[in-house]
Amino acid sequence: MHVIEMRNITKEFPGIIANDDITLQLKRNEIHALLGENGAGKSTLMSVLFGLYKQEKGKIFKDEKEVIISGPGDANRLGIGMVHQHFKLVHNFTVLENIVLGVETTKNGILQMKEAREKVLALSKRYGFDIDIDKEIRHISVGMQQRVEILKMLYRDNEILIFDEPTAVLTPQEIDALMKTMKEMAAEGKSILFITHKLDEIKQVADRCSVLRKGKMIGTVDVTGTSKEELSEMMVGRKVFLTLDKEEAKIGDTILKVRDLVLKSKEGKDKLKNISFDVKAGEILCIAGIEGNGQTDLVYALTGLSSFDSGTVNMDSTDITRAKIRKRTELGIAHIPEDRHKHGLVLDYTLAQNTILQTYYTKDFQSGRFLKKKSILNYARKLIDRFDIRSGEGAETPSRSMSGGNQQKVILAREIDRDPKLLIAVQPTRGLDVGAIEYIHKQLLAQRDSGKAVLLVSLELEEVMNVSDRILVMYEGEIVADVDPKQVTFQELGLYMSGAKRDEVSVYE
Amino acid sequence: MNRDGLLSFLSSVLVIIIGLLIGFIVLLATNAQQAWPAFQTILTFGMRSMRNIGDVLLHATPIILTGLSVAFAFKTGLFNIGASGQFMFGGFVAIVISIHGVSMPPAVRIPVAIIAAALAGALWAGLPGLLKAYRNVHEVISSIMTNYIAMFFIVYMIQSNESIFNRGLSTSAHLPESSNLPRLFFPDIFRDALGAGFVSSRVNIGIIIAIVVAVLVYIILEKTTFGYELKACGFNPDAAMYAGINQKRNIIFSMMISGSLAGIAGALNFMRGGGVGIGIIEVLPVEGFTGISVAFLGLNHPIGIIFSGIFISYMQLGGGRLSTYGFSSELVETVIAVIIYFCAFVFITKSLIGRFIKKKERGI
Amino acid sequence: MDMYMFYFILQRTMFFTIPLLIVALGGLFSEKSGIVNIALEGKMVLGAFTGVMFMRTIQGSENFLANNPTALLLVTLVVAAATGVGTSLLHAFASINLKANQIISGVAINMFAPAFAVFYSIYSTGNQNVFFFNQFMIDSVPGLGRIPFIGPILFQGAYITTYLGFVILVISVIVLYKTKFGLRLRACGEHPHAADSVGVSVIKMRYAGVLISGGLAGMGGLIWAIPSSLFAGAVNGYGFLALAVLIFGAWKPQRILIAALFFGFMQTIAATHTAINILPNAIPAQFYRMLPFIATLIILAFTSKNTMAPKALGQPYDKGGR
Repeated sequence: MHVIEMRNITKEFPGIIANDDITLQLKRNEIHALLGENGAGKSTLMSVLFGLYKQEKGKIFKDEKEVIISGPGDANRLGIGMVHQHFKLVHNFTVLENIVLGVETTKNGILQMKEAREKVLALSKRYGFDIDIDKEIRHISVGMQQRVEILKMLYRDNEILIFDEPTAVLTPQEIDALMKTMKEMAAEGKSILFITHKLDEIKQVADRCSVLRKGKMIGTVDVTGTSKEELSEMMVGRKVFLTLDKEEAKIGDTILKVRDLVLKSKEGKDKLKNISFDVKAGEILCIAGIEGNGQTDLVYALTGLSSFDSGTVNMDSTDITRAKIRKRTELGIAHIPEDRHKHGLVLDYTLAQNTILQTYYTKDFQSGRFLKKKSILNYARKLIDRFDIRSGEGAETPSRSMSGGNQQKVILAREIDRDPKLLIAVQPTRGLDVGAIEYIHKQLLAQRDSGKAVLLVSLELEEVMNVSDRILVMYEGEIVADVDPKQVTFQELGLYMSGAKRDEVSVYE
Repeated sequence: MNRDGLLSFLSSVLVIIIGLLIGFIVLLATNAQQAWPAFQTILTFGMRSMRNIGDVLLHATPIILTGLSVAFAFKTGLFNIGASGQFMFGGFVAIVISIHGVSMPPAVRIPVAIIAAALAGALWAGLPGLLKAYRNVHEVISSIMTNYIAMFFIVYMIQSNESIFNRGLSTSAHLPESSNLPRLFFPDIFRDALGAGFVSSRVNIGIIIAIVVAVLVYIILEKTTFGYELKACGFNPDAAMYAGINQKRNIIFSMMISGSLAGIAGALNFMRGGGVGIGIIEVLPVEGFTGISVAFLGLNHPIGIIFSGIFISYMQLGGGRLSTYGFSSELVETVIAVIIYFCAFVFITKSLIGRFIKKKERGI
Repeated sequence: MDMYMFYFILQRTMFFTIPLLIVALGGLFSEKSGIVNIALEGKMVLGAFTGVMFMRTIQGSENFLANNPTALLLVTLVVAAATGVGTSLLHAFASINLKANQIISGVAINMFAPAFAVFYSIYSTGNQNVFFFNQFMIDSVPGLGRIPFIGPILFQGAYITTYLGFVILVISVIVLYKTKFGLRLRACGEHPHAADSVGVSVIKMRYAGVLISGGLAGMGGLIWAIPSSLFAGAVNGYGFLALAVLIFGAWKPQRILIAALFFGFMQTIAATHTAINILPNAIPAQFYRMLPFIATLIILAFTSKNTMAPKALGQPYDKGGR
């Protein structure tokens, strides 16, 4: 008897099949983990179950009866609750108000909070939540906020509880408490679906585990009978090296020197914890890790997009700890940003205008405060030829109308052509087709071979293994491994990335 | 014109047609017999004589400039709803210099008055700019406040200084004839025969200044590195930050330039002679708000704004004749309001037209 | 300054305060639901306009309301409110369904309203100034008017609308903070995705907020016009002043009352200060008119980093976003 069965679910987004014929069965009273890499389709699947997305194909059954879930309201009525990765809480409402929102009790139109208060207090006590229900959300910690989300589900007597990466924002102590709560809830008759990448957590609480990879269901296993290594392999698959002609790296001088970077969130959680490393000329250093383990914060700190609490960053011998973005650019840092539409391009500008985003004021493109249109167009045409950028109207194509791969090529061309000393590339192949990926990998290697330092931040294990000369793995804001791609396996990397294994990493000479 | 430009142009035309249609319906509803002649007047009066054409250009001058003011800020991602106050400040400063600066020869005095008006508008717009850049105050809200502060302040200044106050008419004093903008050879062109002589439009060098300013704005936005920075901030602030562009500085500069354009509008408006002055009434000058419709109708493009400004002035001139048919001139303002309303979702009309054209192309 | 003058000023203060209070509360409903409402001015104008037109028609007729001022006033208020609601539909449709620029649509309504009012006034009465018979002032409320101090301020030379203003304030507080509707409305202005995830319809709530706002603004416009016995197609910036009241009042009803009293008092001083011998004549009327706007600007400068404005204010709701 399955309390929930999602049968043959297919959900497509433009250009990608996020869920491909997935069947998932949830038993009563079980904690069922959903494991998979970024983009494997876990969150999409749960969003379908919660009514945020509508599947193209497939059916959902609750207690063996088919149900149609076309919105969160429907999900609520069926007893399905969800703790989203980004909490859905109103910051200036009290805990109690947030809990009753949507299922208020009224008498003659006036809110009746007394019963609600008693029920919430009783629930809070039962699970040992120790929460002040009259405090406003903005005044309580993230861990407490998550408890509010849990109370929201319990208050509604939801029996199917979905947790979308619930531990990502928590401290270790809070994680322990959450695990305990989950077990208690399961013991009391709830059924739990639990999205995670962390193998330890699965081992700790889950009864069964379903593994997704690239939108497909790989399988469902009993956790007790399966080792972490096996789970890791299911998650990452048996990956093969793409044939990438790669010469031996000729390592040169240290270009970027990062020491003891620390960044804490407002709540005091470590976002970056004593990050130290060097990037040398002629090498591709890869920062691997699951999304959200501090990579973005690290890149922002290095490129100047946001600040950090303490630590130092040196470029060659210049201290750039507090340098402005333009200064860093002029010192030779190039940056292929994670989100090309947010940071990388001005989509309303033409291709040519985007090629001079950081250099428009130099004498090549400006004379007496005027843009040198001819030089800019010629420059853009040169890049179009050299990097094989395809666009409808050449240099004057509106960037918005270009394909993702060609947009990325514009950024790559612009950043590489500035002849930087250090190239920071953040998920440079995200969302691109195979041809474009290969092209970008070759360009990164060419940079390395011409003596540049390359810092590659990637979530894709194949990319990490194929392209890099050295791998640092980040987990929870810390570097937990410093390994050589030739001496490490996918499975080992999977263990590091999911927090199941760690080394002491030190860069001090 | 490329496809996108064509779509934008068509959507402007569509918006105008909707506005006029609603205006016509209002006319029909109020007095069906006079509706058609009245409507014809709106559509044709502006070109019935050379003098009328001159008057269209005369009244287009300030709203082209306030339109440019709104559009310039909008290109940087800012909504300058404060053009009214900046317009008043510019006009006020120009009036003061025109009256008190008679020791300067007109050839000096007039440019000085216009430049001072631009500065006054710039400074007044700089305040919401500063508040936006450093205190994160939304420029629309602060501009509403600065509009009223400017209005009360200027009304007080005029009222309490005899030298610039015309108590009888309850407006600012008339400017000396020598302070009025030169009319060049225009009176010989834009004139109607009247009896034995002629009567000319008061159109003056102002319209030329407005067109030159529009071209300058075009050059600044499209040809200079400064314009490149400003637009980058407007289109995508995150990418501008990534590129190392100083956003705070650009927000302030953009507001100041926008304000200076509104300030010039005020100067040219009140230096046209013919008894126009700042009234001692507590109403914001409508030119600032008309500028919003001019800007959006002109697709926020400086050259487009020259035409949309002339078009709106043209309709207003025709509207001014509606009393002949028992209607009041405010009808045209309601038409303009309807046009602004539809401009609010001009992007939607654009995509509708785009879909329509696509269907046609496919032969459906 | 004698007591008579003192009471006179406070009575007059109410004439300004009450419409400001009602319109600002209207703005509050809209903004609490997440929709910026700079169209308060236009909605006031149209409310006052249809109200005054209606009132004139009745006053010149044989209708039983003509001899029953209180009933006439109440019915007229309903007419004004309905006009505001109708106007708000345009704003709501543009900003909620079409996700259009909320500022532009507001500017359009502000421009349309006075132009249309003047156009129609001239058409129907031949004059921009539309006069009506102000028969609504209550000389003294029996009993209450004789209470010392409070009596002369609130219960003598007052309009029934003064009490209506306070009733609306109390109802607003109850609706916003004590009802299911209010809780949901506020949730939509702060975090529409949170509201949506618990099954609250953001679109419906925002419509409700904008329409209530229009009703109150229309009503406020009429109330503003009544003491002057004529309406000239404009409310002289009081809609924007009400917006300032809303901001100065930090989007909280009780503080909005205080702001409205302060701003209303300033308007009264501006209108009457030459008659008040304790205030220096050297300070011009405009100074008092300006002061509320300056005060609001200062408040904005010092609080906007930590603003009390609803978090999702001005952002169209997009289901897909997080």
